[in-house]
Amino acid sequence: MDKYYLTSRGSFEQFLVSRLTESTIYAPFRRLNVLDYERVNEENVKNIALHEPLPATPLKTFFLPIRKNVTLDVNGSLPAIILGVPACDLAALDLLDAVYLDPAFPDDLYRKQREQTILIGTDCHSHLKHCHCTIYNINPFPERNCDLVLSGYQSDVFIRILSDKGQKLLKDMCSRIPVQEATAGDLETVKLKRMAVRDDITRQNQGLPDLKHTSTLLKQSEYWLWKKYASTCVGCGACAAICPTCTCFLLLDRPEFEKVRQLDTCQYPDFQRVAAGEDPLSPLTVRFRNRYLCKYVWRPERYKVSACTGCGRCIDACPGNISKNELLTELNTGEVKISQHA
Amino acid sequence: MPEAKNIYRPLKATLETVIDESPLIKTLVLRPEKEFSFDTGQFIELTLNGYGEAPFTPSSSPFVKDKLEVTIMKAGHVTEKFHQLTPGAVLGIRGPYGRGYPVYNMYDKEVVIVGGGCGLAPIRSLLYHLIEWKDRIKRVVLCYGSKTPADCIYKPLFRELNSIPKFEAHRAVNVADETWDETEGVVTVLLDKVNINVPDSVAVVCGPPVMMKFATQKLLSMGFPEDRIYLSMEKNMSCGFGKCGHCMMGEFFVCKDGPVFSYDEIRHLPDIWR
Ligand SMILES: Cc1cc2nc3c(=O)[nH]c(=O)nc-3n(C[C@H](O)[C@H](O)[C@H](O)COP(=O)(O)OP(=O)(O)OC[C@H]3O[C@@H](n4cnc5c(N)ncnc54)[C@H](O)[C@@H]3O)c2cc1C
Ligand code: SF4
Ligand code: SF4
Ligand code: FES
Repeated sequence: MDKYYLTSRGSFEQFLVSRLTESTIYAPFRRLNVLDYERVNEENVKNIALHEPLPATPLKTFFLPIRKNVTLDVNGSLPAIILGVPACDLAALDLLDAVYLDPAFPDDLYRKQREQTILIGTDCHSHLKHCHCTIYNINPFPERNCDLVLSGYQSDVFIRILSDKGQKLLKDMCSRIPVQEATAGDLETVKLKRMAVRDDITRQNQGLPDLKHTSTLLKQSEYWLWKKYASTCVGCGACAAICPTCTCFLLLDRPEFEKVRQLDTCQYPDFQRVAAGEDPLSPLTVRFRNRYLCKYVWRPERYKVSACTGCGRCIDACPGNISKNELLTELNTGEVKISQHA
Repeated sequence: MPEAKNIYRPLKATLETVIDESPLIKTLVLRPEKEFSFDTGQFIELTLNGYGEAPFTPSSSPFVKDKLEVTIMKAGHVTEKFHQLTPGAVLGIRGPYGRGYPVYNMYDKEVVIVGGGCGLAPIRSLLYHLIEWKDRIKRVVLCYGSKTPADCIYKPLFRELNSIPKFEAHRAVNVADETWDETEGVVTVLLDKVNINVPDSVAVVCGPPVMMKFATQKLLSMGFPEDRIYLSMEKNMSCGFGKCGHCMMGEFFVCKDGPVFSYDEIRHLPDIWR
């Protein structure tokens, strides 16, 4: 395994508190059954929920808020540290960066915010019912797209460096709290837990096709499948709003030639309507299907990265009880697992 | 501090003149606050301050940098407002965006251009380009269709074209009246009248979706290879630079990969005419 550092949970909390004057720190907290990011302060630092899946808000929201005036180059707030980001949300940055840092039209605000933010990923020590990252080649522990990775066990916190920014932060940490190099023996626990979670996730997703096969199957899919699964879709767009890789938007006009970027989705009516009234994404069944083709066929073909991280949020969010995974499993195996659409 | 480049912020442009082309179509002559270059067939996003924005393909010559003309058909909310503007108004322009006409593939060729309705706007810019390049091409044949004689736009352009060697312009209207002495019928009937040397030609089509569909079918039946029929696709657009997703057509962003595509690039996609 790569080099890891070791500190204690108590010291790590001390470090976070000592950084509060320089950085805004966000971390996941649990309130009843909701896990979500909140700002860290001296009081709540003890309650940070480090290894639970899955913050309700996808990471994209930090960089691409639901509404933002994109013609004002305001960047008033302190640089942020986002702690506790799961591997799936970090993987989503592959696509976000490809779109927003496209060298032909780089979004400067996005770039600045990415540069100013330190991302600290954490291992998932358990998984939710709809987690399926491993099917899409993402391990439930961060390996890229972040600056540091944390793995905490009882009072131990193991730290791995993944970038220069991470290196700098660790150096700063060493100047404030005791940090030592972890031994191979120390890391045995980390390794075992990782493999166990990974295997559990793979096991609970038997029958779900991998990315390549999903793409092939979707290209061959027939209308009845879409009609069946879209039958309870109400077009609310929750699946896209909550998805860590869905970032389509609409520009709204404001006085002084300002533009406001507002997240939008192909699941809403009129997303592609043109002036003559033609709408290539009508009726709803076609819109519903569009999101799947976009995720598994078109975006991957174009950007050579995955547009679904297997986070499962869209399944939890859907008021129509539509499970993307049941749809794809049925497409793959022909087996119908569900009551809803049977 | 040097101003960071913000891709969302428009450049200002002053409206100099408004030209009535037809009851539904006007041309706005704009003077951008600084020189503005585009390739023929590329488009801009035109902003009405605080109200809305819409994509248009400049209809003026790509060789003119200090002025820009856009020809706008009244089709809805924003275009209606553009029609109400008077000289002196300040508008915003973003762009130019997308991939325009592959004029280099027209070298030493006959160019057949099929246009309908407001689809003549981008075509006029292309014609200005080809007029400038008339020594490098063999022949230009324009076939233009509109609903009625009153809907025909750019009337002086047709007279001008027919007086330039190598250029010829033909018009058809769906419904003629007593003033009309040219062709009556759909635009594709014009293709039967002009004598085109298909192996030596490229075709350009721009207009409403139905017209593009029938024109493409006609050109294919005449023997045009799929990679020598160029289509201007019209899709809903917001950003213009491949991020907002509104213009997605399969794996393509029409705003960035198009709006001009050769037929062979997009024929595998379902519903391209919708
Ligand atoms: C690349 C390109 C070049 C174009 N060039 C010209 C041109 O030179 N001359 C011309 O008259 N027209 C052109 N159009 C069409 C023109 O952009 C639409 O007619 C115009 O957007 C309609 O706006 P509206 O608000 O008046 O219509 P409405 O029907 O009121 O539009 C309502 C909303 O629908 C959306 N919308 C509807 N149609 C379109 C569309 N086609 N593209 C993007 N958004 C749309 C907009 O978001 C708008 O807010 C072009 C379109 C494209 C994509
Ligand atoms: S499509 Fe669903 S499972 Fe995939 S990344 Fe988006 S929300 Fe997560
Ligand atoms: S969340 Fe469910 S009901 Fe809402 S748009 Fe997505 S699939 Fe349809
Ligand atoms: S118009 Fe935004 S992606 Fe094409």
